Amino acid sequence: MVERIKAELGATLKETPVGEADYRERGYHLFAEVASADLLNVARFFDERGFYLAALICVDYKEYLELVYIFSNHASLCKVKITLKIDPAKPVAPTISTVFDCAYWHEREIREFFGVSFDGHPNMTYLFLHEGIDFYPLRKEKIPVSDEDKKALGAFRPGEGEDTFFVNLGPQHPSTHGVLRVVLKMDGEYIEDAQPVLGYLHRMHEKMAENRSYLQFLPNTGRMDYLGPMAFNLGYVTAVERLCGIPVPDRANYVRVILTELNRLSSHLMWLGAYLADLGALTPFLFVFDDREEINDILEPVTGSRLTYCYFRFGGLYNDVDDAFVAGTRAFIERLRSRFSLYEKLVGGNVIFTNRTRGIGVITKERARKQAVSGPVLRGAGIPMDIRKSEPCAAYGEMDFDVPVGTRGDALDMYQVRIREMENALNIIEQALARLPEGPIMTEKAPRKLKPPKGDLYHTVETPRGELGIYIVSDESDKPYRMKWRVPSFSNLMIFPELAKGNLLADAVAILGSLDLVIPEIDR
Amino acid sequence: MNMSWIENRFEENVIITSVDLALNWCRKSSIWPMTFGLACCAIEMMSTAMSRFDLDRFGAGVFRATPRQADLMIVSGTVTKKMAPVLVTLYEQMPSPKWVLAMGNCAISGGPFVFEGQYNVIEGVDLLVPVDVYVPGCPPRPEALLEGFLKLEEKITGKRRFPGPESRW
Repeated sequence: MVERIKAELGATLKETPVGEADYRERGYHLFAEVASADLLNVARFFDERGFYLAALICVDYKEYLELVYIFSNHASLCKVKITLKIDPAKPVAPTISTVFDCAYWHEREIREFFGVSFDGHPNMTYLFLHEGIDFYPLRKEKIPVSDEDKKALGAFRPGEGEDTFFVNLGPQHPSTHGVLRVVLKMDGEYIEDAQPVLGYLHRMHEKMAENRSYLQFLPNTGRMDYLGPMAFNLGYVTAVERLCGIPVPDRANYVRVILTELNRLSSHLMWLGAYLADLGALTPFLFVFDDREEINDILEPVTGSRLTYCYFRFGGLYNDVDDAFVAGTRAFIERLRSRFSLYEKLVGGNVIFTNRTRGIGVITKERARKQAVSGPVLRGAGIPMDIRKSEPCAAYGEMDFDVPVGTRGDALDMYQVRIREMENALNIIEQALARLPEGPIMTEKAPRKLKPPKGDLYHTVETPRGELGIYIVSDESDKPYRMKWRVPSFSNLMIFPELAKGNLLADAVAILGSLDLVIPEIDR
Repeated sequence: MNMSWIENRFEENVIITSVDLALNWCRKSSIWPMTFGLACCAIEMMSTAMSRFDLDRFGAGVFRATPRQADLMIVSGTVTKKMAPVLVTLYEQMPSPKWVLAMGNCAISGGPFVFEGQYNVIEGVDLLVPVDVYVPGCPPRPEALLEGFLKLEEKITGKRRFPGPESRW
């Protein structure tokens, strides 16, 4: 696959060379630097071959700005990095939102954080920032916001419509699971258009990363996605380990898998409760919190916290697990297995629930690829893609589990995929416990002060919500030069406007819930 | 309180008290919080209200989704500059008497998100609205939030619901 793409891309680009990168070091197979005139052709090239736009990143190198497009494939592992250099004094680039719909949102993000304007983009209004911002936050030098950009700054303001009205869903709304705001253009009971407004919980994680050493940034990862912090921890530590070449002992790898899966369970349980509460059933909420507290009881003595874990370290773990942990986890597996039949009776077999969710929010395979959704939403749409399988980190490569997929791609499928994923997680934990090796939990080779070699890395892991991509640029100092987080909820939210169109307002809540969004992760 | 002139004038099963005491007793026994989850702390707030910790024991488990029916705003998470006007509006929509509980380090002081050059976080919700009880932690445990509720009750009535552990310091 990689060879074929390299040859074909080389033929399309003609003069520009296509380089081959060391995948284990860089996280992508091929790279090429294109001219802005070629960009749209390249985007079409990848679109025709079934790739999706995994991430769109901007890096400020002072002499020039660099746009990084990461193209990836669901069917086989092949990642391509396309870069485009632009002039920082007059930053303009062509849009590719006409080819890949998800670029629409990424380009808006880059516009407000870097001041790059995209030619041909239909709507360049601000998405995240508030009106008091008068500079581009992620530029290395303080550059005032241009007069032209200031007009776009007033966030989203609904225009005048004929016979339509606007409903604000959020930012304080119980079923948006946080402070998400969606402006809905309504025609009676039906939604004509939906426009998410983000940034109510923008906590500057990417800016913070540039101000802190690699280790100091570690606690932030737990606060980005507070429901699945272990997976974010795992993604960050494995990325830095990959960048610096730090080995990890076997035992630590197995413990990482167990804890990440336990956390995945607690995240999915929380989703189950919250989703059903959105749909009007409060009883499951009480049941799932009972199970969640059991997980917390297991994790708390080991990790030292109940929610925003910071447990993995570069080269190992903070603390070893003991026999009580193993026994407690085994008992919990038994307990949760017996609870699944209860959930099935209470929820899965409930006619009110199945009729409410069947056939709404249908995502086709093609739309899922264009919008670059990931995780259970992607699998619900019928694409069997799981990064734990395709790019296993820690000890996932040695685990035996299947990838559940949906058949219809509707909200009910998302529910079923997540329930089966929970059963899978239990199986993974059981396997890892049975094979848990003895030995050290921390490598002796971890340097005290991390100074990764010069270069970049795009590293992905599977979080409870989907593909987490971390793009780190290192300049050999102890702080990252640029760290971009490609977060799953942000990409999953992008598909919401088209799912909501033409649906009833009450169904919008059911669709939004099926995407399982965590807002601090979207806003970063 | 001096009520000697009225004492012993009624039969034994009649209790005499001031209007304030009676009202405050009602208020502290039914503090209705607003469903207002901001960030990570919101999950611990839910845990407090759910099965194990059961906030209903203190009459405070009735989470209202609208500020107009709520007595208490639990600011559970980071307040950003974009959120600030929304938060103030919500506070103004609450009927008096109303209270604010700042839950977690972010709501108290901006928490871990304060650094040189930060541009988006309000460094403490008390810069926006008056705060009655501060519950530190990142995030605070449910027990800490419960203690926050007891402190609020103490503030309303002037005495604690039941004696707390004696301070060793």
